[in-house]
Parts: sequence; structure tokens; C-alpha cells
Amino acid sequence: MAVTLTHYLVLATALFLTGAVAVLVRRNALVMFMGVEIMLNAVNIVFAAYSRQLGDLDGHVFVLMNLAVAAAEAAIGLAILVEIFRLRRSVDVDEFKTLME
Amino acid sequence: METVLFYLFGALTLATAVLCVTSRNAVVAAVWLIASLASSAGLFALLSAPLLAILQILVYAGAIMVLFLFVIMMLQGPELPQERRRRPLPRLLLLALPPAAGVVIALAWAARLGLIPLAPYDPARAGTMARVADVLLGRHLLAFELVSVILLVAIIGALALGRREEERPWR
Repeated sequence: MAVTLTHYLVLATALFLTGAVAVLVRRNALVMFMGVEIMLNAVNIVFAAYSRQLGDLDGHVFVLMNLAVAAAEAAIGLAILVEIFRLRRSVDVDEFKTLME
Repeated sequence: METVLFYLFGALTLATAVLCVTSRNAVVAAVWLIASLASSAGLFALLSAPLLAILQILVYAGAIMVLFLFVIMMLQGPELPQERRRRPLPRLLLLALPPAAGVVIALAWAARLGLIPLAPYDPARAGTMARVADVLLGRHLLAFELVSVILLVAIIGALALGRREEERPWR
């Protein structure tokens, strides 16, 4: 059976849900960030699949933007995490119950 | 051939993503995530997007994940002691509800759509570097410039956060 667009969409949905589970279930803030990266990657696959389907390259441009935003998010998010770790000596989200110092 | 490669890369991407989410050790999780991102580059190549496949490996699996590994090794030992104790089963089931609902909705939606055949491979429309650059620096020039501003803001923000307490610009 030839690969169809639906194959890619189902795969991307499964990937997205895997990332969502990581964000919901894990306590380690670093692994939660990785879940966000998995979700972004799933979205990128959908963009590329539809770009191929519709035959224009706007989807590829979106993926490039997504890459840049993911890089910015990772840099800022990890910097904030390092700062929280300096204050709390932990990356366990269950301990971040308050935003006060 | 394409089918075989799709299932190979798709299974690799999904399996390594699941391993990343379930592994207790953050360093191991990061390495699995690198594997997942690298095999999804294969999917991009299958979708006639060679530029994206290369960038996925260079930027995502390369640069971003190196940043992750640096921070993990800076912050903690490999394992978080709190994650060794398990959550109570009812709470786990409750947490599993939204993803399960997502699976049901996605499958129902896919069944409704049916199998949409993918447009055949057309070398004249493949996302090579020249063609993507044409679109990126033509129609989407403003978005391109705005993304560079986002990256600049991110750099400045990360630098400001990385400073010592008494050297903060806002103090």
C-alpha cells in the first residue's frame, strides 16, 4: 500500500500525543521541555506533508520559522530553568509551587 | 521503496520518542530525543524536503540538543530522586485521559477523512535550497526579518538571565 497523507497525519498525531504525555506526566522540567520539542517536531512533519500535498513551499518556510522559534524557546527556557535551579537546587516541577522567591 | 522507508523512519521516530518520554535518566532521554529528531529528518527527505532534512539534523539534533545536554549536565546528576517513587494509579489514569481522548478523536477523524493519496513526487517542486530561499526571501521576507528579531531577543534574554544576581540590568 502506498504511503498516503493520512499516514503522515496519524504518525504526527501519535508523536504530538507522546510529547503531550511527557509534559503532563513527567516531573523533571528538562524532560518536559523535551516533550515540547517532540510536539514541535510533530507539527513540522504535518507542515512538510501538507507542503508536499499542495505542491507549494510555504510549509517549508513555516518549518524554518518553527526551527528558529524552537531554538529561541530552548535558549530562554533553559536559561530560566538554570536560574530556578540556582534558587531551588531542583528541577522538579512539583516543587515549583509558587513563583515567589 | 518509499513505503518501506516511511515505515522504517516513522517507527524509529515514534519508538525513540516514546523511549525519550519514558526513560528516567534525563541524559538518556536527551540522547533518545536526538535519535528521534534525526530519524524524522528521514521523513522530511521522503516528503521531498531535502533542505529541511539537513537543517533538522544540523540545527535541531545538533545545536539545540547540545544546548539541552549542556544544561542537563550542569544542573543535575543523571536521575531525579523524586521520579523514582511512582505516582498513585488513579492519578496516572487521570493523566492518561486527555491523551486517550486525543487518540480517539484523531482515529475517528482519520477514518472520516479516509486515505488521502499523497501528491506524486515532482522534482520541479521539491524543496531544494534555492527554491525555499526564493520563497523565504521573497514572499516571506518580513517573517524572516521578524524571526531574526525573535532570535536577537532570545539571545539578549538568555544573557540577562545568565548574569549574576547583582549584575542584573534591571536591578
